[in-house]
Parts: sequence; C-alpha cells; structure tokens
Amino acid sequence: MYHTSKNTEKISDSILWAQLIADDQNAFSMLFEKYLSPLVNYGKTLMPSHEKVKDCVQDVFVDIWLYRHSLSEDVVVKAYLFSSVRKRIARLYERDRIFRQTTSLEDLEFSVRFSIEHQLITDETMELEVQQLNQLLNALPPRQKETLYLRYHQGLSLEQIAEILDINHQSVKNLLQRAILHLRKEWKGTISLLLMFSFVTS
Amino acid sequence: MQPRDLYTKVEDFLSDESFQRWVRFKENHTHWEEWTLESPERAKLVQEARLWIVSMKIEDTELSEQEVQISLQDTWQTIGSFQERKSIWRTHWFRAAAAILIIGAATTAYFLLQRNPTHTVITYKDLVEKDTEGLIEQTNNSNKPQLITLADASSVLLQPKSKLSYPKEFSGNERKVYLSGEGFFEISKNPSKPFYVYANEVVTKVYGTSFRVIAYPTQPNVEVVVRTGKVKVMPNEEIQSDTQEGIMLLPNQAARFVRNNLSFEKILDITQDKPLIASTNTIEQLSFEFRDIPVQQIFTTIEQAYLVKIEYPQEKLKDCYMTTSLSDEPLPEKLKIICESLGSDTRYEMNGNQITIISTGCN
Repeated sequence: MYHTSKNTEKISDSILWAQLIADDQNAFSMLFEKYLSPLVNYGKTLMPSHEKVKDCVQDVFVDIWLYRHSLSEDVVVKAYLFSSVRKRIARLYERDRIFRQTTSLEDLEFSVRFSIEHQLITDETMELEVQQLNQLLNALPPRQKETLYLRYHQGLSLEQIAEILDINHQSVKNLLQRAILHLRKEWKGTISLLLMFSFVTS
Repeated sequence: MQPRDLYTKVEDFLSDESFQRWVRFKENHTHWEEWTLESPERAKLVQEARLWIVSMKIEDTELSEQEVQISLQDTWQTIGSFQERKSIWRTHWFRAAAAILIIGAATTAYFLLQRNPTHTVITYKDLVEKDTEGLIEQTNNSNKPQLITLADASSVLLQPKSKLSYPKEFSGNERKVYLSGEGFFEISKNPSKPFYVYANEVVTKVYGTSFRVIAYPTQPNVEVVVRTGKVKVMPNEEIQSDTQEGIMLLPNQAARFVRNNLSFEKILDITQDKPLIASTNTIEQLSFEFRDIPVQQIFTTIEQAYLVKIEYPQEKLKDCYMTTSLSDEPLPEKLKIICESLGSDTRYEMNGNQITIISTGCN
C-alpha cells in the first residue's frame, strides 16, 4: 500500500541513479521526466521566471550526465536534485549581482503563497480558523516558509533539508520548531478572540 | 502497533504522506478514519493537523508531457554540444596558457657581411616556397599594427613592414605559419596540434600561448622571451647549429639566436636586457585582468590592444560590470568569453577590424 509504494519509488530512484552512473541514457531520461515538474515548481519559489528556472533544471541534468562518473551512488536522488537546482539558481543570482553591482547579496528568497483547500472546508468556524492560520503561514520569514515547504510539501527529511539549504541539521529542526510554535501561539490567540467575537455578534 | 500510534504532535501528522492524502483526497487505504475515532485525544490532534494541511496548499503546475519531452531533447542537445567542447578542452587544449615574446633582429647588410659560406641563410621566401599548402599572405604596409585572425581562432597583430603567410585551414597535425618582420601571436590552445612560427632560421614551437616574434630579414638576432608557460625554440632543421635540439624556455626567460654563428644564448634576466626591454608593445603593457570593471572599459582596452573598432549598444550595456581574466586568450576567444558572460543573447560579429556586439543587455 502506501508505504510499499513509497519504498519501491525510493528504490527505483536509486536504481535509476546507479544505472545513470553506468552510462544508461534511458535511466537518465526517466529521472528527467519524473523530476522536471517538481524541480521547476520548486525553482519557481526561488526565481519567478518559468523559462529561466527550466534552463537551470536542464543545466543541472546536463552536469549530472557530463560528470556522472564522479557522482556518488549513495545519494537520495530527490534531495540531491533539489539541492543542485537551488545552488544553480543561487549562482545565477550571484552572477547577476556582479553585473548589476548591487551593494548587498541577499540570500535567495523563497516566495510562495500557501493557499487554502477551500473544498475541504466544512463549516464557518473551520473557515475562520483556516484563514487565520493561512495568513500567519504566509507572514513567516522566507527561510521558515521554505523549511515548511520542503518538509511537509516535498516530504524531505531534516537531513536532506539541511543539505539543500546548506545549514546544519539542528538549524533545520530549530527553524521548523520556531515556525510551528510561533504559528500555534499566534493562531490560538487570534482564533479564540475571533470565536468570541463571532459568538457575541451572532 | 503502527508508527502513527506514537504520534504526539501535529508535525508528526503533517509529515506523514498517507495522512496528507487522506485529508486532501479522502484516500482511506490505511484506515485513518477508524484510527482517529479510537480515542478523543487523537481526534483532537487529527483535527488540528487537518486544519494545517488545509491552510498550506501549494499550487503546483504540472508541465505538459510535450513540454517535458521538448525540454529533455534540449538537454540531450546541450549535452552533445558540451561533449564536443569538452573533448576539445580536455584532450586537445592546454589548460595552462603560455605567453612568450620572441624578438628577432637581423640586419641583412650586417649579416651578409659576416656571412660565412658554410652557414645557411634561410629567408622568408625560402620558407614560403617550400610549403605546399596554399598559403595566404598578408603584408602590413600601413604605419599601425594590423590584426589577422587565423582559422584556428588564433590572432596575430602584425607590425608595419611585416609579412605573414598562413594556410586558409590548418589541416594535418601541425599548424605552421611564416613570418617576416614582427608579430604578436596569441595562439589558441591545442596540444595535439602544435603551432610553429617559422621566422628566419628559428622555429618556435608552442601549443597555446601568446608571444611576439620579431624577425626582420635585416637584423642580426632572433630573440624569444617567455612570459608564462613553456615554449620550445629551435633552429630550423636545414641549418647546422650546436643547439640543434633547441632550448626550452620558462616564464621570464629568453633566448637569443645569433644569426652569424647560428648559436643560441639563454637570457635568464630579461629585465636587464636592453634590446628586450625596448621591444615591449602596447598589447603587452595592457592588463587583461578585470575586476568589477564596466564592460565599456574592457572594450576600450581591446580596441587599444588590437587596434580594432568595437561597436556596441552603449545604453543597454552601461550598467554591466565584469570580473574576468582574458590575458591568455586570443581575440576571438576574449570576445566569446565577454559575450557569454553578458548573457545568452549576446554575440559578436567580426568584419576585418570592425567588431559589432549584438546584445540586449546583461540580464
């Protein structure tokens, strides 16, 4: 069932990866087809241009093929790909910075809007709660948002996120905890106020 | 006992993909519903986790099958072009570039006076006549250096009153050119196809480098000065010399070939050698190391060094800065590197001494 399918998926990723390292073009194409969309979607949270992001993802795959013989067989493919795309985009910004001669190098800024699954809302109270939480989520600092995204949307582990963001494992844990604690605290506060208010007016 | 029985925090649920699927798509293969109802504690946690998931939707767009396939084709194409380039760089082209300076000076009158019948004199005319390939000859009759671009993307700045003969294409395993007078050579790197400059009795063999040859038919010496890298200087095989096998020169070393006794002397300190000091030209004095420099300035430097005119969209490139090292590159390679750094839609066209940069700016 779910877990088995997840396992086979993981195994097949690493099998494809090993085949790719052993010069299998087909394995390369399969990984490409599987990951192009997720990687473009991820890249677009860091850089708005669809075409540029796609170019970056393609470049990552070009390098993978050209340097396949120096790749480690022992990687989590998905995390490796995410990390490579992120680095590639960061480099592009770095290059742009050289040309524009801006004074400060801002970190890559993760920008995505969390939206609401409206069709899953069953009643007004839930709608109120969800709206509040959604607003708080979107107001989080970019780093925290990105961590949440990678952990819960992409299902990556703390170690993998640490690798992608190039920070240590403990920092990822802290980022996540801080985000969730903050959200819960703010959320409960506003929610109880709002609920009281709606109770009084109704 | 299942892993989920140990869940105590909302986060535990959020990272469980089957839980997400149950909330979002109502997939209940693993009986979340039943499991939730087993305890009120659980139901509370599950309810909160559900709210989180509903609040954190990400709108992903799936690329169309067609777009994926086009992109995959693109990628294989890029790989193909890189593999070509890589094989050139890896197997043929030297990474380290050399820069040498060759100075020849010979006064025919002087030389002829000293001439010993057992010695051979080799002239530009002899050299060119022996070459069976169809050669192109360029003579600089103006009073300014003249730029010549060779088939292998090497460039030569030919001094006034000098001649250069070279083939239209370099076929075979060697690249040979013939010089009379003086020229500054910047040779594209290709170890599998060494580049030879034949000038009077001296042959200079390089793989990829920049250097100056001065070998006027009327001067007594030929001198070779190396700036970086390694260069081999040898006498033409037609003459008998006590240094037949030639000498290797390292950076900042030089050799002087004395035409009347056909011998080489090595110059270890070029800064103390008056004829060599006097011979440096503009291009050797200009630095091609740029750090955060406006691209206009880089173009100006190239104009000064190669005596070319560069036209470029000034308004579009006015905020473009560059950090790059172009010292050991022939002119076409310099232009290529600049264009690539400016952006994918930047290219150059070269028409004699006129270079046009086509660009929409540095993105």
